[in-house]
Amino acid sequence: MRVVVLVKQVPSEDVGLSFAPDLTVDRGGLPGVLSAGDRIAVDQGLRLAVRVRDVQITAVTMGPLSAREALRTALLLGADNAVHILDEALHGSDALATSLVLAAAAARLEFDLVLCGSASADSGMSAVPAMVAERLAVPGLHFADELLVRERKVEIHRDDGHGDLRVLVADLPAVVSITERCGEPRYPRYVSRVDAREKLISTWSLGTLSIDPAQVGRRGAACVVDAVTPHRPARPRALVEGDPTSTAVRLADFLAEREFL
Amino acid sequence: MRQVLVLAEGTTGTRRATCALLTVARRLGAPAVVLGGPADPAGTALLGRFGAKTIYPMPAPGPGGQSAAARVEMLVELARRTSPAAILIASGRDGLEIAGRVGVRLDSGVLSDVVDVLDGPVAVQSVRGGSYLVRSRVVRGVPVLAVRTEHITVVPDPATPAVRQVRVAFPAGVYAVRTVRPRTGRTSASPELSTAAVVVTGGRGVGSRAAFDLVNRLAEALGGAAGGSHTATELGWCPRKALVDQVGTIVHPSLYLALGVSGSQRHCAGMRGAATIVAIDSDPAAPIFRLSDLGVVGDVHQVVPELLAEIERRRAQPVISTRTVTEA
Amino acid sequence: MTVRLVLGVAIALAAFAVAGRRILLLGRLGMSGQPAEPGRTRGVGGRALALVSEVLGQRKLLKWTVPGAAHFAVFWGFTILFATIVEGFGALFDRDFHIPLIGTHAWLGFLEDTFIVAVLCALAVFAVIRLTQSPQRRGRRSRFFGSHLGPAWLVLFMIFNVMWTLLLYRGAQINTGNFPFSYGAFASEAVARLLAPAGRTANDVLETVGLLASLGVVLAFLVLVLYSKHLHIFLAPLNVAFSRRPRALGALLPVYSGGREVDFEDPDEDDKIGRGVIEDFTWKGMLDFGTCTECGRCQSQCPAWNTGKPLNPKLLIMGLRDHAMAKAPYLLDAGQTNADVLAEAGRPLVGTPDEGGVIDPDVLWSCVTCGACVEQCPVDIEHVDHIVDMRRYQVLIESQFPKEAHTMLRNLERAGDPWGRGARARLEWTAGLPFEVRVLDGGKLPADIEYLLWVGCAGALDENAKKTTRAVAELLHEAGVEFMVLGGEETCTGDAARRLGQEVLFQELAKQNVEKLDAAGVKRIVVTCAHCFNALGNEYPQLGGVYEVLHHTQLLSRLVAEGRLVPEHPVEAAVTYHDPCYLGRHNRVFDPPRDILGNVPGLQLTEMPRHRETSFCCGAGGARMWMEETIGTRINETRTDEALATGADVIAAACPYCIVMLTDGTATRKQEGRAPEDVQVVDVSRLLLRAVRPAGSPPSEKE
Repeated sequence: MRVVVLVKQVPSEDVGLSFAPDLTVDRGGLPGVLSAGDRIAVDQGLRLAVRVRDVQITAVTMGPLSAREALRTALLLGADNAVHILDEALHGSDALATSLVLAAAAARLEFDLVLCGSASADSGMSAVPAMVAERLAVPGLHFADELLVRERKVEIHRDDGHGDLRVLVADLPAVVSITERCGEPRYPRYVSRVDAREKLISTWSLGTLSIDPAQVGRRGAACVVDAVTPHRPARPRALVEGDPTSTAVRLADFLAEREFL
Repeated sequence: MRQVLVLAEGTTGTRRATCALLTVARRLGAPAVVLGGPADPAGTALLGRFGAKTIYPMPAPGPGGQSAAARVEMLVELARRTSPAAILIASGRDGLEIAGRVGVRLDSGVLSDVVDVLDGPVAVQSVRGGSYLVRSRVVRGVPVLAVRTEHITVVPDPATPAVRQVRVAFPAGVYAVRTVRPRTGRTSASPELSTAAVVVTGGRGVGSRAAFDLVNRLAEALGGAAGGSHTATELGWCPRKALVDQVGTIVHPSLYLALGVSGSQRHCAGMRGAATIVAIDSDPAAPIFRLSDLGVVGDVHQVVPELLAEIERRRAQPVISTRTVTEA
Repeated sequence: MTVRLVLGVAIALAAFAVAGRRILLLGRLGMSGQPAEPGRTRGVGGRALALVSEVLGQRKLLKWTVPGAAHFAVFWGFTILFATIVEGFGALFDRDFHIPLIGTHAWLGFLEDTFIVAVLCALAVFAVIRLTQSPQRRGRRSRFFGSHLGPAWLVLFMIFNVMWTLLLYRGAQINTGNFPFSYGAFASEAVARLLAPAGRTANDVLETVGLLASLGVVLAFLVLVLYSKHLHIFLAPLNVAFSRRPRALGALLPVYSGGREVDFEDPDEDDKIGRGVIEDFTWKGMLDFGTCTECGRCQSQCPAWNTGKPLNPKLLIMGLRDHAMAKAPYLLDAGQTNADVLAEAGRPLVGTPDEGGVIDPDVLWSCVTCGACVEQCPVDIEHVDHIVDMRRYQVLIESQFPKEAHTMLRNLERAGDPWGRGARARLEWTAGLPFEVRVLDGGKLPADIEYLLWVGCAGALDENAKKTTRAVAELLHEAGVEFMVLGGEETCTGDAARRLGQEVLFQELAKQNVEKLDAAGVKRIVVTCAHCFNALGNEYPQLGGVYEVLHHTQLLSRLVAEGRLVPEHPVEAAVTYHDPCYLGRHNRVFDPPRDILGNVPGLQLTEMPRHRETSFCCGAGGARMWMEETIGTRINETRTDEALATGADVIAAACPYCIVMLTDGTATRKQEGRAPEDVQVVDVSRLLLRAVRPAGSPPSEKE
């Protein structure tokens, strides 16, 4: 089974963002690591091997030279090989363009299953997995809290909020995005570290994927950023004091606003 | 005035999120609600109260049809027919999936994590947990905005909606993903801690094994799992396997409620991945408040029973609060 | 005489043949291990001194007075009584034999008899100890729990036999006139008086019987020793001679394979990482296993064993030895077909009982690496090194270790600290200090800087430890000591990773830190965490980072002594001090924290029963801080109870790990109503700060 894992590099910690003059996020100076969700995605790919024969995992990322670190981590965690889509023209790509490139890469690799971590909220990329599935015209199963892959079928457990839980099934090939609830990835053995150095990272350009540079990057963006303003630290937000009744009402409002009631 | 398509939450759209979407949709044009099922009078009345001009019920896609895929078809079809000013979708799990797919189908720009919408439409996005606000516009296709409705103050503006049936041909793809086991509504069985969507934990501030029942009751009321801090498990207030801690279970819920937990480094390492964190503790300097989206300074023994009563009241008589949202 | 000679020589030849075969086997088995790391013979002078003090002087045994004295008597008894064996063999050939030169001096006779009596007394003491300490009566609390009891009694019985046959022979010798000593041998003379009435002929017979019995018993004992735990008689001196000097504590050794350090960047095909099978141990490891006398001094101090966990250092070593012996035929002959031997050879070194493991994973992961066992061991067995070596295999090769620890390792890899907070959080502790903490931002340390303050992950991120860091910073500022911190450039020293067995990660982190410290030209470091202290001071030199590393208690006590800090404001409190393992036992820093406490007016220090070298771990060492403690009672609560029993209002420690654990322990006890509400757990430096800070100055911390 051919598994393609789409991975991305994220800053290693909660640091203040810096924005380049063109208002794109400046990732140049930040230390980056493989995102937690993607680690789990690679690990889930490995776990398939228990039920499915001949699992071949390819990690794919799109990004600047530094994104190669994320691929190395994916290889160390057990991916068999990796593809780095590196092209000057990709700078400033929005979600739509990102999905175009990733879908083209997955199609070129030929896949039975595309796995990716669900992007953390407010990364601006949370809709990418759904876009990739749509572009590949295969079923998309998103936000899987549990993943079960059989020879020709994939099943996920998913929490829809409001206490609704569903089990969804689709035939392969499919795109699945998973959440961190799938469980911590196993810690790699030392041999994997040694082996990872030998594994191949191919570099593809837009030309490799036959994508017109005008469709991606800043030029091809369907959205533009007008302004970026620092707001307030993420947390803490609000601290309320007062008598128990009014704070309880305030709490209930808060929960209701977020659809937890 | 151009239409603004608003995707209803749930099948009838009678949720607060839909009302919030309607509130911002009115700024851009004439709100038209796309339902996930048939229209019903109560729903129509509620949507009208918040300014819906048109309501498009969804024809049933037939057995096995998955609602997200069907709603994508509805939105694409309506967008092609009415060329709306924007498509507004609440930014939940379904919402993000639908937004992404609609964006691809229409080759339209998609903006997520929208916390406010201004005329244009210009979207205000929250980046990195709100550390930055980014103003963005869609320059190609129909703007698709995934809105985090908790940031929207719901304001009513009554209108009389017209219910319009539309015919949509659902392609085979709608049946590609099948729901095999729906588990709707709150189940009595408490979920696994590690995969729970809602986690309520108690700590030292809970004070005793007897008082720990408050934690269990709140967890049950929210359909979540109950957990305990190091102290709570150590003193036997809850089982050891319920420990939320770096050395216990690491949780990733959508909502984390910490009751009387001060927030040691180890505890925080076990729950930092929660999407929304609420803490109740009597010590205003408790480190847990530095992590929380909402902190309540108060006695767990007083606040939680009030909260349980309030939740029960709201369950018995659902209202959509139009109270102004205050953010610190 | 001929009968005597024939029988005597026959017995001796038989015994030597059996013994020789056994020695050959043991020797080959020992050599089947890997080559030991270099340095096992370095420092001959020190090793000779160790032999003098630990073997001849019985230094470590005498830490326990009564059994120590009894063992002293037996050890020296056997050494001195070697003379009687020489005399006995001589007498086979020449009835009137005596040792040349000194053989007839009365003092020798007196000495021999004195030790015969002393050994007999010691045997009585040992018997009493064995009876009162019997595992049947005391269960897990018995020193001899799980030890081989039958062979131990047999050994005592054989020693008794050696003694009485010797007395019989010597008494008869006196009566037949063949005794080398005219006077002095008081015990033998007493026996002679008893035997005299039997007459000359009877005494002739008794002399021969006594001689043959005595030699026979001695030779049988020799064989017994070679087949039992009593092998230590011969191996202990070797084991002490080749042990890590001054002690197998402090730094851990890097990973060695085939006697060479493993280069993780470019490992050799057949490098052995850690210990995955018994033959992966070095010959020194094998020597350790063979030397263990099953005395149980190690277990008496072990925090894991004493809180109901399955780890017992004695049983661990015994288990490895018994496995090595059972697997020996396979190790020495790969073509082995014996089913039992093959079954033994197939057992995993670490595995659950279901898997037939030699060492249970719960045993391996219970160790806090506190070093109490190593400290106690009279024959210098290196328990901690063996445990970490086995962990290395489990982590690096098998990836089999407690899952909570996976989180800690991932956090270290991703964020550089065990909680996963990241570099940006590392300066949070400085907020609100009344002076600016100088942060090195690239480049070299300015010339006016005396010390680099190594804050450490806990010191920068843990709530309590941050207060300690602030107190130390304030005290240094108060004393006019110029210091700087690395801020976000600091990463974990790697201690927890190394103790867990993740050597590769330790080396990565350590190399990174060494590079930064060297680039900044750092020479002197002061550190508040005992674990960082150990890593920076003892382990970084292995990676080329050599610095003068001071623990904050060392520097602060010096500043007090020099008068640069004046603790003048009384702190009225009863205090007890907990020795952090990695400060005390591993690094012998016992006095500076006590000096500080002693200099704070008003403080009344009461020591806990277990303190200094015998301090009882808080439960956080050996990466146990990052694992859940599910078996037995909690180590931290056991220690907290001991501290509370001193009646202390303040429990002082000098390591953030200990403070976390003892704070947790006291909090639990308070909640249970078993500790006064106002008991505090604080770092020594914070008590000093309370005494130094002039009244009315702005407090830097919320108490």
